[in-house]
Amino acid sequence: MNTPRIMKDFSTSFEIACQQRVIFYYVGYFSQNVVAAMADAVRLQLEMSGVNGPTRRKLFSSFIEMAQNIIHYSADSLTPGDQDNHEMRHGSVCISEKEGQYLLQCANPIDATVAEDLRERLQSLRSMTLEEIKQACRESLRAETPEGSKGAGLGFLTMARDSSEPLEFDFQPLQDHPETVVFNLKATI
Amino acid sequence: METLYIAATPSSPEVNFDFGQHQLSIRGESYPENAAAFYGDIIKRLREYLANCTKTRINVDISLAYFNSSSTKMLFNIFEALNSAVDAGNEVILNWYHYEEDDTILEFGQELHVDFPEISFFDRPVKTA
Repeated sequence: MNTPRIMKDFSTSFEIACQQRVIFYYVGYFSQNVVAAMADAVRLQLEMSGVNGPTRRKLFSSFIEMAQNIIHYSADSLTPGDQDNHEMRHGSVCISEKEGQYLLQCANPIDATVAEDLRERLQSLRSMTLEEIKQACRESLRAETPEGSKGAGLGFLTMARDSSEPLEFDFQPLQDHPETVVFNLKATI
Repeated sequence: METLYIAATPSSPEVNFDFGQHQLSIRGESYPENAAAFYGDIIKRLREYLANCTKTRINVDISLAYFNSSSTKMLFNIFEALNSAVDAGNEVILNWYHYEEDDTILEFGQELHVDFPEISFFDRPVKTA
């Protein structure tokens, strides 16, 4: 995969989307160590930005879910695809503030073949009420882990539960890379 | 049975299962990269210990400031194992610590309490620092 070109393609729109008051922004490779170090910075920055406690917790939680999704699922991986620990994969994440609301955005390339499945899952989440989301969390906690999931299939549900609006998402095609699309996800908290 | 001790890291909790004293604790942060791998052995050791317990009073302290979605699933498995131990004739006292303003962890504790009624569950809110 031609990494620099892909990253140029999708970091431009990502930067435009981040032109609010940016609290935290990172583009690059994500590993567990990178995420743990970012977690420190994010916590402190949210505190210094005057965000209240409950909102900080929700932002932090969704930030971790997004960052770990990049570690697990980005199609741009430095480590072999079948390795399931100490992974390092490429993506970006941005926390910003706009008119009193906090926006969390992330982006990473994915295989075009998995986009449809993601679209279905996210689309169905968008139509659910908070109570239905909580019920779905309870059910998937008791269910077997879905195939292809490295977590518990609970990541999107957790983000949806903590968001004040339905999760937004889109898939950007990449010129010259028909097998890859950029997955953008946005949570409003 | 030998104590199971795992030191905390920035993204994984301290695990201190003093099986000899029947005192088990998990505290810190829990968002390891691979929660199933991190908790897999812990749960295995826990089950081995519980299988050998009879009419034992087991104290469990869980004090996590944050846990990610995949850790949630693992905590659920731990509770499941503890609940079975009560069915087998033991007593499990569980202290569930959380910051008092943390509704997510409070609610998760309440759900566990409803799901696993055999465990003596104590909600322990802590004042936010």
